[in-house]
Amino acid sequence: MLRFADVSKTYAKGVRALAGVSLDIAAGEFVFIVGPTAAGKSTLLKLVYREELPTRGAVLVNGLDVTRLRPRDVPFLRRRVGVVFQDFRLLPRKTVWENVAFALEVTGAPPRAEGRVVEVLETVGLAGRADALPGELSAGQQQRVSIARALVHRPPLLLADEPTGNLDPDTSWEITQLLARINAAGTTVVVTTHDTAIVDRLRRRVIAIDAGTVVRDEAQGGYAGTVAAPSAAGGPYGGGEGGSDGAA
Amino acid sequence: MRYALAEGAQGFVRNGLMSAASVLITAVTLMALGGALAAAGALDHVAAALARQLQVVVYVRPGAGPGKIASLRDGLARLPGVVRLEYVSPHDALGRLESQLGPGARLRGLLAHNPLPPSFVVSAARPQDLRTIADGARNLPDVDDVRDGGRVLDRLLAVVRAIRLGGTAAGVVLACVALVVIAGTVRLTVFARRAEIEVMRLVGATAWFIRWPFVIEGAVTGACGACGAAAAVAAGYWLIVRGAARALPFVPLPGPGEVAVDVVWKLLVWGVVIGVTASLLAVRRYVRV
Repeated sequence: MLRFADVSKTYAKGVRALAGVSLDIAAGEFVFIVGPTAAGKSTLLKLVYREELPTRGAVLVNGLDVTRLRPRDVPFLRRRVGVVFQDFRLLPRKTVWENVAFALEVTGAPPRAEGRVVEVLETVGLAGRADALPGELSAGQQQRVSIARALVHRPPLLLADEPTGNLDPDTSWEITQLLARINAAGTTVVVTTHDTAIVDRLRRRVIAIDAGTVVRDEAQGGYAGTVAAPSAAGGPYGGGEGGSDGAA
Repeated sequence: MRYALAEGAQGFVRNGLMSAASVLITAVTLMALGGALAAAGALDHVAAALARQLQVVVYVRPGAGPGKIASLRDGLARLPGVVRLEYVSPHDALGRLESQLGPGARLRGLLAHNPLPPSFVVSAARPQDLRTIADGARNLPDVDDVRDGGRVLDRLLAVVRAIRLGGTAAGVVLACVALVVIAGTVRLTVFARRAEIEVMRLVGATAWFIRWPFVIEGAVTGACGACGAAAAVAAGYWLIVRGAARALPFVPLPGPGEVAVDVVWKLLVWGVVIGVTASLLAVRRYVRV
């Protein structure tokens, strides 16, 4: 689904964001990309949806090298890759429904495709708030709207850049579970985060990046290496749904 | 498309004052261009009419007797290209001058004797014969001076060229100013809608889909300016023609309607070109996909 082949990215000002990154993400995977601020996590995602071009290397999405994409073909890539951000990027004057439908409207989707809006709002659990403005919603609900918008084109790949960065721990976990559900329904999900709690709790593949290189890649990792035993008492999610927390 | 039209119109209206300023500056720009076009067009018309008159005036040396005048007539008649000869005696000439000066003029009472020389008005078949007839007439005996319409025509055409050149130069400079002002106004809309543009790029809207509303806003601005300019030029021309009809009744000027129609579509094209170019400049940085 997603392959980085020896990818380096140096920004114009000489800042080196990525240095020789190679990784493979299969269809249907759920992957956390973790690392400190400015480690190159966001750059990694930007290379996938062609917001940035790598200085060297190839980025393959579904076998297609997006670095060789002509500019006029880029919009069609973006309809196949959903993106979610820390700051939601919703349009404040449009309702929930309009924000989601906007993605269809501006890509020339036929009007009947708008039944799809209801569908994705149900997926994220906001069908009842379709007429609300983003300002009337909680941060977690706003992030759900932005996830709905990212899904409206039925992309096989969903990228989330620090999706829980602005959320409190409980809401973060809810959003993470939503992403896991979307993944379970067949969408490949890649999440960058420095939220140790959700990573340690969900126990999925973790790719750690530091100073632009992959320093760790574990199939069922925790944030800071193999999680020995997350402490239920001191952890932010102590007393969660249980089961998935491991031995406490 | 409906989306683009609606958003474009909304951008134009929301920017109120700045849109008005853009329209105004575009109008001024196009007024300079339109004024030059109208003036050059009118003078072209005059030049063509003059060329159609095709006359050379040959003044006879004062004191030449009737015999000499008769032989000069024969000489002129033999020049190639001459189709008609008319003799104007000093008496006739004074009468023409009086009638040209208007009813109040009584030259006969002022002058002890008639100072005007006799002359021949020679008509040519084709404009290009004017010069050869004039040159031939200069070489005949008893000729004092030759006025050929060709020289007036040359001077008139030089004026037309100068107006065209000056008008175009002023137009180009003002067009650059208009370009910057419109681009600034459209950029206000771009800035106001940058969140939307960001989302559009993100969800896969094509670059042209994103650009269209701004292009339309620019085109509307340019077209409004052009309409204003065309109205101003037509009105100005109408005033001038009305004045000219009184002062220069013998100069055949084209009617205001004719000029307006000719100028309007040229200005509209220019207005829209300026507006669209300005918009594309304004969105360039934001819509590189």
